[in-house]
Amino acid sequence: MLRLWQIFKKKYKIIGVCLGATLFFFVLPINKRLFVLTNKCNMEKKLTAWVKRAWLIVGFFLITLLASAQQYGAITGTVNNQRGEPLINITVTLKNVTEGTNTQHLTDSVGVFRIEKLNPNDTYSLTAEAIGYSPKTISGYKIKSGKNTNIIITLTEDHNVLTDIVITGYQDVQKKLFTGSSSTLSVDQVERAGLPDITKMLEGQFAGVSLQNVSGTFGAAPKLRIRGATSLSGDNKPLWVIDGIIVEDVVNISNEALSTGDLNTLLGSSVAGVNPSDIQDITILRDAAATALYGARAMNGVVVITTKKGMVTAKPRINYTGNFSTYIKPNYDNYDIMTSSDQMAVLMEVMNKGGYQMPGLINGDGGGVLYKMYQQIALYDSSSGQFGLRNDAATRNAFLNRYANANTDWFDILFKNSLIQEHNISVSSGTENYQTYVSTSYLKDDGMTLGNSVERFTGNFRNNFKIGKKLKGEILSTGSMRRQRAPGTENRVSEPVYGEYLRGFDINPYNFVLNTSRMITPYDQDGNLEYFRQNYAPFNIINELNTNYTQLNVLDFKVQGQLRYTIIPGLNYTLNGAYRFVKSESQTSILENSNKVMSYRAAKDANSIGNNENLYDDPDFPNELPVVVLPEGGFYNTETDNLKYYYFRQDLQYDKVFHNDHTISLYGSMEARSTDREHEHFDGIGYQYENGGLVNSNHLYFKRGQEEGKPYFGMQPGKDRFLAYAATGTYAYKEKYVVKGTVRYDGSNKMGHSTTARWLPTWNFSGRWNVDKENFWPENKVITSMILRGSYGLTANIGDATNSSAVYYNQISRRQYINDQETLTYISDLENSQLTWEKSKDLDIGMDLTMLDNRLNFTVDYYRKNIFDLLGTIQTSGIGGQFEKVGNYGRMSGRGIEFTLGGTAVKTRDFSWTPRFNMAINHNEITVLESNPSVWKGVSAEGGAVLHYPQRAIFSVKYAGLDHYFGYPLFYALDENNELTPNVNLQGDEVGFLKYEGPADPTLTGGFWNQFTYKHFQISGLIKFSAGNVLRLSPAFKSGYGDYNAMSRDVINRWTMPGDEKYTSVPAFIDGVSALQIIDATGSQVSAVYPYNLYNYSDERVVSGDYIKLSNVTFSYIFPERFCEVFKLTNAALSVVANNIWTIYSDKRLNGQDPEFFASGGVALPSSKQVTLSLKLGF
Amino acid sequence: MNRNKRALFTLLGLAVLVTSCKKYLDVNPDNRTQINSVEKVAQLVASAYPDRDYLTFTETASDNAEDKGPGIGDVNDLVTKYYTWQDVVGDETNSAEAYWNACYAAIASANQALKSIEEGDFGDDVLPYKGEALVARAYAHHMLAIFFSKAYNIGGDNSSPGIPYVTEPETVLLAKYTRGTVASTYDNIEKDLEEGMKLLSSSAYKVPKYHFTLAAAHAFASRFYLFKGEWQKVIDNANATVPNGDFAGNIRPISTTFKNMSIAEFNAGFSKSDVKATLLLCNAYSGYQRLYGTPRYGYGETLKDMFNEPNVTGKRLENKVLNYGPPNYTTYKWKEYFYYATESTGFPYLPFILFTTDETLMNRAEAYVELGKQDLALKDINTFYSVRVQAFNPAVDGVTPQKIMAFYSISDPKEGLIKTILEAKKAEFLQEGIRWMDLVRRHLPVVKNLYSPTGEESTIELGPDDPRRVFQIPQTAKLAGLELNPR
Repeated sequence: MLRLWQIFKKKYKIIGVCLGATLFFFVLPINKRLFVLTNKCNMEKKLTAWVKRAWLIVGFFLITLLASAQQYGAITGTVNNQRGEPLINITVTLKNVTEGTNTQHLTDSVGVFRIEKLNPNDTYSLTAEAIGYSPKTISGYKIKSGKNTNIIITLTEDHNVLTDIVITGYQDVQKKLFTGSSSTLSVDQVERAGLPDITKMLEGQFAGVSLQNVSGTFGAAPKLRIRGATSLSGDNKPLWVIDGIIVEDVVNISNEALSTGDLNTLLGSSVAGVNPSDIQDITILRDAAATALYGARAMNGVVVITTKKGMVTAKPRINYTGNFSTYIKPNYDNYDIMTSSDQMAVLMEVMNKGGYQMPGLINGDGGGVLYKMYQQIALYDSSSGQFGLRNDAATRNAFLNRYANANTDWFDILFKNSLIQEHNISVSSGTENYQTYVSTSYLKDDGMTLGNSVERFTGNFRNNFKIGKKLKGEILSTGSMRRQRAPGTENRVSEPVYGEYLRGFDINPYNFVLNTSRMITPYDQDGNLEYFRQNYAPFNIINELNTNYTQLNVLDFKVQGQLRYTIIPGLNYTLNGAYRFVKSESQTSILENSNKVMSYRAAKDANSIGNNENLYDDPDFPNELPVVVLPEGGFYNTETDNLKYYYFRQDLQYDKVFHNDHTISLYGSMEARSTDREHEHFDGIGYQYENGGLVNSNHLYFKRGQEEGKPYFGMQPGKDRFLAYAATGTYAYKEKYVVKGTVRYDGSNKMGHSTTARWLPTWNFSGRWNVDKENFWPENKVITSMILRGSYGLTANIGDATNSSAVYYNQISRRQYINDQETLTYISDLENSQLTWEKSKDLDIGMDLTMLDNRLNFTVDYYRKNIFDLLGTIQTSGIGGQFEKVGNYGRMSGRGIEFTLGGTAVKTRDFSWTPRFNMAINHNEITVLESNPSVWKGVSAEGGAVLHYPQRAIFSVKYAGLDHYFGYPLFYALDENNELTPNVNLQGDEVGFLKYEGPADPTLTGGFWNQFTYKHFQISGLIKFSAGNVLRLSPAFKSGYGDYNAMSRDVINRWTMPGDEKYTSVPAFIDGVSALQIIDATGSQVSAVYPYNLYNYSDERVVSGDYIKLSNVTFSYIFPERFCEVFKLTNAALSVVANNIWTIYSDKRLNGQDPEFFASGGVALPSSKQVTLSLKLGF
Repeated sequence: MNRNKRALFTLLGLAVLVTSCKKYLDVNPDNRTQINSVEKVAQLVASAYPDRDYLTFTETASDNAEDKGPGIGDVNDLVTKYYTWQDVVGDETNSAEAYWNACYAAIASANQALKSIEEGDFGDDVLPYKGEALVARAYAHHMLAIFFSKAYNIGGDNSSPGIPYVTEPETVLLAKYTRGTVASTYDNIEKDLEEGMKLLSSSAYKVPKYHFTLAAAHAFASRFYLFKGEWQKVIDNANATVPNGDFAGNIRPISTTFKNMSIAEFNAGFSKSDVKATLLLCNAYSGYQRLYGTPRYGYGETLKDMFNEPNVTGKRLENKVLNYGPPNYTTYKWKEYFYYATESTGFPYLPFILFTTDETLMNRAEAYVELGKQDLALKDINTFYSVRVQAFNPAVDGVTPQKIMAFYSISDPKEGLIKTILEAKKAEFLQEGIRWMDLVRRHLPVVKNLYSPTGEESTIELGPDDPRRVFQIPQTAKLAGLELNPR
């Protein structure tokens, strides 16, 4: 009976298959027919084809008949990941529970496996296993006789299962042969939806990587360090490698210069043009063994980025990601700024003491409410015989009342909750021999503040192909385009005499809010913009942000290719090449009605003419008054940075296993890099925005420029050439012991013409012991595996010095009169025949454990760096002609420990918890150094390099209390006498008498990441912490407070009368008469500017840099398959992400300011708090 | 076999590719320049002049400064120390050490240029610049010898330490040097000077006033031989500094052109390159005009009498006596030039006068005195005053031996003439640094006043053999194996 039924079903099947096949073969030619019509002479061929097809049909019938004649059943299955992407070459184990036998099967190129001839009476279980995924078993499976059962197995990724490949950029090394210290995380673990720069992905996630967001502006790089600083003067930045190609920076900005807020910091991030959605995973290489192949570039560690590739799929996989974010405005609650009424009360007090006199204020370069009042009082209308404001107490008070009550919320006015939208579409598809990945993304950020916005397009096209069995290749092209707007800015300069950093015409919105009084109003009573006075000209911040701005355009295009040829089995030759071109141009437009332009024209009153530095005092007319050199138009200034980069590398790799137990891997490589940079600037003078771009420059502007040494345009080229040869060999015995050695030989043109200095050999050796593979290792579930690693080697970095032969530059002689000027050649640096690279001998000892039945991984590394031949400044006898020389004589030691603990702590059917904790401690100390930095450098927020202290140590002038009679601050003198003085010479180098506060860089960093999954819900959070460093508060104290600047709330507790110095450390307002009483030990009068500025650099103004932050919280919902099917989606997920939302702990005296951020003005903005809605769809 | 062959060929192919391309790394990393043409040599020699001035330490240490009293003027550590002949450690701007560094930097440029000339094949066109390099090297060494070693002892012992005479570019980080003796230093200077002078060409320069023209080199030679006491050479070289021996028409027109200028014009005009009397200028990095405009120790109430009271001619000098409010006087000779390195910061420079015909005239007068030609000396002195005293009438205002004897109360005519010459120079070159050179050369004692913090005035004196007459060489010179000057 059963048999009959089966035959009946079988017939059904035959009929069905026959029908299907016939239909298929008839439908197929329809397309062809069109072709045939246009090509009639092919009739014969066509007929032959039909005959062939007919035969095929017959054959097919026969085969199907035969196949279905069997009584067995079959399983056809697909193995997918969570995103619905098919998994190829996955082992599927079929267990016949009834008979107790096992068979293994592999999925094909579309993730499909098929198991036939299954006995329908037996019970089966299916297990799919793949690297990087948790295995999945479906048990108790029954097969129906003569029937094909379809099954879909979805594997979930498990990030704690170690991948078996370590990508070093040069080589993909099998994990079991890898001896170095590295960590790899895939993008979905580190993804920061809403943050378009991929450097943010490194935040708090990798042990030993310290990331400090010194500026949150798009394009600005964070201060990034792997295992601490290694150089006193160099850039201390890790090397970035994307898909095997070293990334060169468009402009080379040292880690310290990242916090200046200068315009070029917007080009600081090497990877601002990379679309985060294209990233597959990130690897950090830390020790000498891991970075071995980078030789003389790897002293600061390496960040290796791997991007996505096309997959072998049956149909194209299309993925869409959309991020929609909004900023959260800061508010005054967190900041230490006085309200307008409090400040007005302070102003009144100072006025009563004789401050803020009318002549001084009305003629000064800037002024606020009182200036405004005096200006009105002085305004006389001859027709009506009236003054602008009556000069009596009642009228004055009424006038000031408006400002006293203004309490302007500048955060609300200048900051925005703009929408940031980011769209990304990628398509992945391919066949066995050809795979493609295409993606494009668009970012539009309307900006955290007025005057800031960004747009970015990226495109990525990656093709992998295979020709025959021996040749494989890849072509990858990526491009990005960025348009960014930022407030106009000048570069910051350091002024050590008074102890200040200066930036002309700074209109940074964040700094404006911190520095501008809440009495100042943006609009007048009629709702029009209200102007105050700055730089002898009217100023309103809203007007300024609209009339003085920079537009940055960056075009970045890269093509890279790879060819791999298998010469004989085990021996592979690889050729890599890349070309990259970057053009970036910042166009600064300063319009006619901007403050800067008006300041150039401020020649109305004698005082402006006398003091306004933007006017020109023509030396040819010594008796004349200074004149305006910009009578018409504004400025249109451009700065261009271009990069042209070629990369070439060829490798030869040989792998062989002898007698099962002996594995040998040999690798040799040759590399050449060529980088051409160009920096251009052009000052467009007298561009008339109001008159359709007419240019009518005044010749005096150029005459002045020629006399003062300010050329109106310039171009500086930079050319880096680099050659390297490397060889490495690995030997492994029985998977128990691995030893490895590398040598590398690097050459560079950077040190100048000298055939000896430019070459440097580096080497390292390392080993690994897989302890758990030993016979004595007891099989247990507590510690499942244990690996010990060790490495020792020489790494290096090329320093800043370029004088292996004498360096000459040209200069226009510095003489006032143009007819006296001539071109000089001067010696910038004498030859230093002993010049060499900065080097470090690194030792690393590490241990990897997997514990609790593979649920937890624990990695610990201890390292020591013995850094030598560091470039340091040394004061010579001067007799050679160069008093201060830079030479390789400095030494520094570094040591640290870092560990990571992670895994899937809990995993049930519906719930899982994946925590990952990392922490690193790094200490460094300068052990040999001859020169001391100036006091000014030592007390600055960035710190200085001093012998026996960390690489950058922050010092303080020792505060000694307030003067009893006048309340100005006093300090201990910088000598052994410790006398009290109101002034300390900041230009000296007696750093030893300063108070050491601590390192500028944190000594402890780490992060704690957690992910909880319950059914379709997922929540993850990242806590980041850092400790051990100190911060200098931004300089808030001044000898005189204008009626324009913000005041600290601390000022309320200031010294007001003798005796107060016992209770307060906030200095008095120094009035003009008292200021004359500030005298030093020799009895001479000291300008009040000195003690008040020094106060900013005293120990009173240093706080701890420790913090704990909640960097990221992501709440996701993954739509169930049922839902996806309805919309023909393969996967869909919706997330709400909050970035940077909460500083859990930081020093109270920071008053809510970001401990990572230096408020240096210019284009720098703090990292924003933002909330993002993220949508992911797959088709 | 086939496999092995394939592997072998691949390796061979690789080896060819790997063969280092030497030229590849010869590319310059930035826009540095090479000394590969006559023009480049000329440009390099143009920087063989010290780019600092010696005003602050020489004027303050000399009797061209006085203590104006406590609480008057600005107190500056540098000025205080130099006034009281203390050592200043460090190379602060305007310090003696900064000047030491600048001289050796100039010497390094000269040496690099000479080496390039030696190694390159530039033909005869390069010879004027070789000459300039040699003279410039001699000049910088001479200035160092004046300030950092004992004065040349004419006809006496010169075995005290000189200053390192550098003739080769330095190529290592910390090189060793020796000081030699004063005698060897002067010998080397003379050798370079004489060899260089022969090669000079006045038509070689685009901006002659900033280079050793023949006239400027002769001015240097006249000063150098004055130090060495070779009087006839002083006269011969001085003669060559003006065309046709016309000093009167070529020295500073104080009582005419300068007098008629407004204050601003004078300030701008005094050090301008179009002043005929100026033979050599250099652009010197200096804060002199801004930081030391009104020092407590400087040009004050007593010194101004050099101009406000009648001098040996019986009349007053025409120089401008300007002040920033008495007693802070200034000659207002220097106008700062501010060079902008960035948008808003830069470096202050002075167009600094190194040689004038006024100096060579007085050098000649002094040499005439030493050679016993007192008439000629007197004639030069009167030429000098003829453009400095208002409406100079030779018959009435001319300096005579009688006037000298009466004015200075010196009976010895030779001594009187020397005193007249040195006093004339003291006034004329006030705030120009020449006075210190005369003080060390002539071994004259320096006597100055000093006020205590409570206002009591006392006198300090620097005797003719005081070791403090020699400025201290940098402490870091010990690294090069040098001994510091005794104290």
